[in-house]
Amino acid sequence: MAGGGAGAAVLFQACGVPEHELFVESSNEIPEDLVSGLDNWYATICRQCSSTEGIVVRVMEGRAKKIEGNVDFPINEGAHSVRCDAGVQALYHPDRIAAPLVRVGERGSGRWEEISWTDAMERVALQLRNLSNANRAVMVTPPMRSYSGLVADRFMARFGGQYLRYEPLETTNVRRAVKQVFGQDRMPDFDLGNSSFVLSFGADFLNTWMSPVRYGRGYGRFRQGDRERGTMIHVDSRFSMTGANADEIVFIKPGQEGILALSIASVIIDEGLGNASAVSALTNGGRIDMSRFAPDRVASAVGVDAARIRDIAHQFAEHGTALAIGGGSAAAHTNGYFNMVAIYSLNYLVGSVGREGGVNFNPASPLKDIPTGASFSQWRQLVTRMRSREVGVLMVKGADPMYALPGSIGFREASFDVPFIFSFSNSLDDTTAMADLVLPEHNYLEDWDIVDPDPGPGYQSVGFQQPVVRPFFESRGQHLGTKGFADALMGIAGELELDLGLPSTFRELLQDGARTLFNLNRGSVRASDFRAFWNGALQRGGWWDTGARGGNRPTPPALPANVGQAPSFDGNGTFNLIPFASTSLMEGQTADLPWLQATPDPVSTATWRTWVEINIKVADDMDIREGDVVRITSGFGGPDVEPGEGVLALAYPHPGVPPDVVCVPLGQGRRGSGRYAKGRGGNIMSILSPGADRETGALAWASTRVRIEKTGDWVRLPKAENTNPDLATDEGQHIVKITPKDS
Amino acid sequence: MAELKQTQQRQWGMVIDLDKCTGCQACVVACQSENNIPINEEAHYNQRRAIQWIRVERYWEGEFPDIKARFMPVLCQHCDNAPCEPVCPVYATYHNTEGLNVQVYNRCVGTRFCANNCPYHARFFNFWEPAWPNSLKNQLNPDVTVRSRGIMEKCTFCVQRIARVKRKAKNEGETVNDGDRALSPACVNACPTETLFFGDFKDPNSTVAKMKDKETHGGRGYHLLEEIGTDTNVVYLKKVDKHAEAKEEVHA
Repeated sequence: MAGGGAGAAVLFQACGVPEHELFVESSNEIPEDLVSGLDNWYATICRQCSSTEGIVVRVMEGRAKKIEGNVDFPINEGAHSVRCDAGVQALYHPDRIAAPLVRVGERGSGRWEEISWTDAMERVALQLRNLSNANRAVMVTPPMRSYSGLVADRFMARFGGQYLRYEPLETTNVRRAVKQVFGQDRMPDFDLGNSSFVLSFGADFLNTWMSPVRYGRGYGRFRQGDRERGTMIHVDSRFSMTGANADEIVFIKPGQEGILALSIASVIIDEGLGNASAVSALTNGGRIDMSRFAPDRVASAVGVDAARIRDIAHQFAEHGTALAIGGGSAAAHTNGYFNMVAIYSLNYLVGSVGREGGVNFNPASPLKDIPTGASFSQWRQLVTRMRSREVGVLMVKGADPMYALPGSIGFREASFDVPFIFSFSNSLDDTTAMADLVLPEHNYLEDWDIVDPDPGPGYQSVGFQQPVVRPFFESRGQHLGTKGFADALMGIAGELELDLGLPSTFRELLQDGARTLFNLNRGSVRASDFRAFWNGALQRGGWWDTGARGGNRPTPPALPANVGQAPSFDGNGTFNLIPFASTSLMEGQTADLPWLQATPDPVSTATWRTWVEINIKVADDMDIREGDVVRITSGFGGPDVEPGEGVLALAYPHPGVPPDVVCVPLGQGRRGSGRYAKGRGGNIMSILSPGADRETGALAWASTRVRIEKTGDWVRLPKAENTNPDLATDEGQHIVKITPKDS
Repeated sequence: MAELKQTQQRQWGMVIDLDKCTGCQACVVACQSENNIPINEEAHYNQRRAIQWIRVERYWEGEFPDIKARFMPVLCQHCDNAPCEPVCPVYATYHNTEGLNVQVYNRCVGTRFCANNCPYHARFFNFWEPAWPNSLKNQLNPDVTVRSRGIMEKCTFCVQRIARVKRKAKNEGETVNDGDRALSPACVNACPTETLFFGDFKDPNSTVAKMKDKETHGGRGYHLLEEIGTDTNVVYLKKVDKHAEAKEEVHA
């Protein structure tokens, strides 16, 4: 402190801080405080949702700490989604099942007793052996494009039962359309990064649809890459996150997406903007009359102005490489299949198939034995079989049909007619809670597998999944704890003396697969001996060959004669209900994880609850405020949901939802699944009408009409928005700045 | 701080391209996972006490059907003239020699002056003792202190990763490389669209320095609340919207 002089100057000096004091370092820099433990990063595959991301897991002292994307892996190139990150919470979930459980009370009563694996396997084998006919056994899993799937497939084929693959929001219509239009059994790759123009219909592809991380990588390059900034138009009947990121969002009447696509095609054909050979092939040499889809004739039906349809058609045809993508709610109507056929056919008109920036086909997997076919829509038949006591044993793994099938199908009720249900599961989800026996499986971070990514990156690629930590419940001894699904199933086959025609352990089976790749002697991992190859593939998280690309189909097949059908709707109300997969909870598969429950929805920023998005003006007219508890009824319900009871949700007046639409996220309303999910929010799937696509029989999950009424209750909607006060800006200053010019 | 800035060796900073951000929340959960942030329960949101070192703000623009939503990741801007620093009575918050605005947890006495003074609302107070069920504690990052009740916390640009990389470089006689993923904060590595870039503004060859140089001279670059003179180390690149001629900028 400077002494001497009197007065204010001294005081001010005393308040000052000598500059050198500011150089104190944070404790973060003090060596004593640093953890010097070494961390290891192991490459494996994320199995939290159906898109296959390569991940690396940080392991310290035998515990998984952090999940990041695998930079080498072709699908996600180092990035990952919210779901991937939360894998560690699935691994260390406090309500994870630690030993085989057998039901001791009434079915569904929640009273269990632990038994040993030996006992559990014997019980399963006994039940299967005692079936009067092998076809009375039914297995349900999600579509697993992996060696686990191969074991399940082989088990059911050799045993003689029925094997059903279950997806809550079916992709059947998209896949069937891809087969019809492109002649492909696998989803193609969309090269967004090199595209100039993207026209998407309904698919929330940056958020939840198919392979969002891969599409996100492409989107980044599409916006600010080496090329001119791309333009994106999104057609939807709701305001999705993908729509929010488009340059223009076109609101359309639900189910009319295919007619809009045909109208765009008619403009392109009429004005000669398209590829001549594609036009000829698509219209069967001009025999299919496209003039009935002319903008002026369909504008009022689709709810899009004729001039705007022409404008979209021009932009689509004149923008260089343009890409048309369809899915999500556009495929979930009674005419969903035709919508998809019309949308994907547009790619041919502008010559975008099989070229950079367009639609690229995925080649067949080098591992031919991975099952690719997925069969859906047999649920009603299954329920009928269950009711007539034709199903003796129901085996479930990783699927939760009792949660996500429409209540009106009556699956849960019918399950009481099945004498024995057993479930491979980590948690007591809705279906597992109704089981007689629970076999707890390893988390994917504790287990082996070989995974075939779908959609792939446009060339052959295989993901290697390896255990990055020892099983968490290992300490419970070999009779309790968890086991890998495939190993357990192979064990049951052993009990039954069933010859699967496979090696004796799952790891050997995987090594057989790896040997196939080793013998190809091409691709990203090559080695002089198999051991080096195996280690190399595990280290890099997979094998891929950028040279092994899919084929091409230069001209499209003619449009089916009955394309352009109108959708039909069912339900007692006036609002079109569009359910959507939640950013973090998807269709409920990850609802048990607290980070994901707490993740804000990108658009509404809501968390932890089920909300219903209602147009802000309509809500105002109905005197509905945010947080009002509203009852959503469709006239449909199930054994547990009285049709009049409906689903309760918190109102979220939304400025972007069309007035005749309400949107509800999936994922909540679980009867089980642990402390973070149980009894939280409502399950909108329970009141869906059982409408199905006319052509494929796929569930038309966006074809229900509902009624909305206030209950008089109010609950605060927990959301991230307004958790912080608004940033204070000066007059004329802004937060998100916008510029019309690219730099 | 101007003199300090001249003498320091490094200046960590971030570039955020708003034209790429889709609002997917990957950065938010990646941060939560890396930095031992307590689980944001429903009650925390309702009491406006949720902790998100990085958050994605969503702004509405226009009315149906001409409606747009804009996304913006907001985190501590690591200001060179940080309003939070001079108000701390115990020097718990201060500027380090690499341009980071740091919080020393064991000095913090919880006056919350810093949070009140932060124009970006990037500081969060632990109103409760953080709680995890025992098994979930297996995931906690041993490199990061768990903050107890009564402590202020905020984005550190994952200083533990920077420290690890620097220590490794020192031990092995190497240099710290721009673009090293081990150096990048968890949010940057997670981002599917490559919206976020991290690096050293003092290194003229770093990606962020080049982007800042290009974009702040007639390009899309700007600083959040530039007008208040906080001199931040986060550069935002404007969202491109070719229909935006008439309405150059938007409000909350």
